[in-house]
Amino acid sequence: MNKRTKKRIFESFRYSTLTIWLLIVAFPLFWIVSTSFKPDAEWFAWPPVYWSETPTLANYANVWTGKEEYADTQYIQSMQKPWVALGNSTLIAFISTTLAVFFGSLIAYGVSRYQMLSEARMFQLLMLRMVPPIVIVAPLSLHYSTLKLLDTHLGLILVYFLTTLPYAVWMTKSFIDEVPVEVEQAAEILGASKLRTIWEVVLPLVRSGLVATFLFILILTWSEYLLALILSKTEVVTLPIELSKYEGSTEGRVYGRQAALAVGITIPLIIIGLFISKHLARGFSFGMVRK
Amino acid sequence: MSRIELKSLRKEFGSTVAVKSLDLQIEDGEFLVLVGPSGCGKTTTLRMLAGFEDPSDGEITMNGSIVNDLEPRDRDIGMVFQSHALFPHKYIYDNIEFGLRMKNVPEAERRKAVEDVAEMVHITPLLNKRPAQCSGGESQRVALARTLVTHPSTFLLDEPLSSLDAKLRRELRAEVDRLHTELKKTFIYVTHDQEEAMTLADRIVVMNEGEIEQEGSPMEIYSNPKSYFVADFFGSPSMNLLDGEVISKEGKAVFQHGQMEISVPDTYANLGSGKVTLGIRPEHVVVSTADGQIPETIDLVEPMGKDTLLYFEAEGERPFVVIVEGLILDDYKSGQQVQLTFPDDKVYFFDEAGQRIR
Ligand SMILES: Nc1ncnc2c1ncn2[C@@H]1O[C@H](COP(=O)(O)OP(=O)(O)O)[C@@H](O)[C@H]1O
Ligand SMILES: [Mg+2]
Repeated sequence: MNKRTKKRIFESFRYSTLTIWLLIVAFPLFWIVSTSFKPDAEWFAWPPVYWSETPTLANYANVWTGKEEYADTQYIQSMQKPWVALGNSTLIAFISTTLAVFFGSLIAYGVSRYQMLSEARMFQLLMLRMVPPIVIVAPLSLHYSTLKLLDTHLGLILVYFLTTLPYAVWMTKSFIDEVPVEVEQAAEILGASKLRTIWEVVLPLVRSGLVATFLFILILTWSEYLLALILSKTEVVTLPIELSKYEGSTEGRVYGRQAALAVGITIPLIIIGLFISKHLARGFSFGMVRK
Repeated sequence: MSRIELKSLRKEFGSTVAVKSLDLQIEDGEFLVLVGPSGCGKTTTLRMLAGFEDPSDGEITMNGSIVNDLEPRDRDIGMVFQSHALFPHKYIYDNIEFGLRMKNVPEAERRKAVEDVAEMVHITPLLNKRPAQCSGGESQRVALARTLVTHPSTFLLDEPLSSLDAKLRRELRAEVDRLHTELKKTFIYVTHDQEEAMTLADRIVVMNEGEIEQEGSPMEIYSNPKSYFVADFFGSPSMNLLDGEVISKEGKAVFQHGQMEISVPDTYANLGSGKVTLGIRPEHVVVSTADGQIPETIDLVEPMGKDTLLYFEAEGERPFVVIVEGLILDDYKSGQQVQLTFPDDKVYFFDEAGQRIR
C-alpha cells in the first residue's frame, strides 16, 4: 500500500467518524426544532414523525404570546411567563458573567504576572468547581434564607458569579500567559504607566480570549438549572426553570410548547455567537500571539 | 552624562544565585559588552539595570544617585529585547511612535521623528506593515528604531542579534556599531557570542557563573586572558589547550602532553612542576615541512578560502588546530608528517584551578 492510498483510507475513516459523531450530536437539536413545529397530535405519535406534514406555529404563538386561542390542551398557559423569564435570565446571566470575566481576568493577571496564587491554589480554585452543586446548594439555601437572598436577582447573580469565577480565572489566565512579559516591559520602559500598558498592549491582545471566555460562561449561566431551582423558583424564574414547568405533573407533557420555548432560549446564544465568531475562532485556538 | 555604577550587585532567585557580587563602572558614551555563556547572569544584570528586577543586594547608581527604587520609565534608558517584543497588534509606525506618544510629544513632531528614525535604520517601507509581516532582521531593526526614537541616554541590548542567521547578524552588527558612533550614547550590549563582543566592544566584561571573570579591551582579553575560561571562550577556532605535566628533564623544565614534549620557555621560570594546561592560539603555531619542535601527522586539511585549517589528533576531546594563511592545498595533505613550532612568547600556561601562570 503506498503512502497516498494510506492517507486516503485514513482521511475517509476520519471523515466518516466525524460525520457519524455530528449526526449523533445534532439529532436532539433537530428533534427539538422539528417538534416545535408539530401540531399536538404528533408529539407522541408512533412511528415518530420526523418532520410534520402540517407544520404549525401554534406552539410558538402559545408559548411566546400566551394567546388563549392556542391553548388547546389541558395545559394552563396563564401560569407561564416566558418573557419575564427571558428578562430575568438576560439580566442575571449578563451581569454575573460580566462580573466573573472582569474579576476573573484581574485575578488571572495577578497570577500570571505576580504569582499572586501558587499553582496549588490555582488547582484548589478549580477543585471548587468539581464539588457537585448539589453538595453546596442545601447549606447555601439556608444562608440565603437568613440573608434574604432567596428568590432574588442579586442572589442568583452572586451565586453564578462565584461559581463561574474559577473558569474565568483559568481561561483568561491562559490568554494572558500568551502575552510575553517582554512586550509589556517594552511598553513600560518606553514610558507607559501600568494602566496604560494594560489598556494599550495587554487588553487588545487578550480581547478575543476575553470574548471567548465571556461566551463560555454566559452559556453556563444561561442554562444553569439546579441552583436556580433551589435558590429561586417562584419569584425570580429563569429560562431553564421556565422550561421545566412544561413537564409538570399537573400540566402534562406538552412537548411542542417546550420545544418552542427551547428554540427561543437557544436563539439569543446563536445570535451572540455569530456576532463574535471572529473572536471565537481566535480565542478558542489559544494561540493568538505568535512569537 | 550618565555614568553608571554597579556596587556589589547581587540577585538571587530562591536558592539560585544568578548574579553574585558585581562591581562595575560604565562610562558615558562607552560601548560595553557583557559576554559569557548562557546562564551566567547577563540578562539578570541587564534587567536590574533596566529596573525590571529588584537587586537582592547592592546598589545601582546613575549620575551619582541611587536608582534602585526608580521605575524603569524614569531611568532614561532604552531596551532592546532578545525577543524583539514588538507590539503585535500595532502597525510598525505605531510601534515606533509609541514611546513618543507616552511622552506627550505633539503629533506633527512625532510623525517627523518616526520617519527620520525609520530612514536611519532603513525600514521606511515597513511602516504600514504589522510585526507578523516582518522578518527577524526587520523586526530587530524596528525594535532598535522604537528605542532610538525616544533618545535615551543609555541603551540596553540583550542578545539582539542571536535569533538571526550569520549573514544578517554581521550586517546588523555593523549597523549597531554605526549607530553607536553616530549617537555617542552609552551602549550596554549582552551577548554570548565572542565574535560580536570582539568586534563591537570598547570594553568587554566577561562573566562566568554570576561573577566577572575579566574585563578589558577586546585586544587585552584576546591576547592576555587571565584564565583558562577566558582563553577558551575567545577566538575562533578556539585556543588549543593541552592538558599535561611539567617535568624536569636533564635539568630543564619540559611540558609533557602524551607523546609530545616541549621545553618550557625560560620566561616561565616559576612554573614549578606538576599538572598544567598549555594554551596556544591556532594562528600562532608555526608549521614547517623542514624543521621544528614537534613532529606531527596532519589528520585533516580544511581550506577556508583565505586561510586553511590543519587538524591534528590530540589527546582529549578536541583536535589540535593550526591556521595557515592562504590556500595551501598543494603544500600540505592529510597523512603528511610536518614539524610544529610553538613560539615562546605565544604560549600560555594555566594551573589546575584554571588561573593563568605567568
Ligand atoms: N525569573 C527567574 N527565576 C528563577 N531563576 C532565574 C530567573 N531568571 C534567571 N534565573 C536564573 O538565573 C541564572 C542567570 O540567568 P540569566 O541572567 O538569564 O543568564 P544569561 O542571560 O547569562 O543566559 C540562570 O541560572 C537562570 O536559570
Ligand atoms: Mg540571557
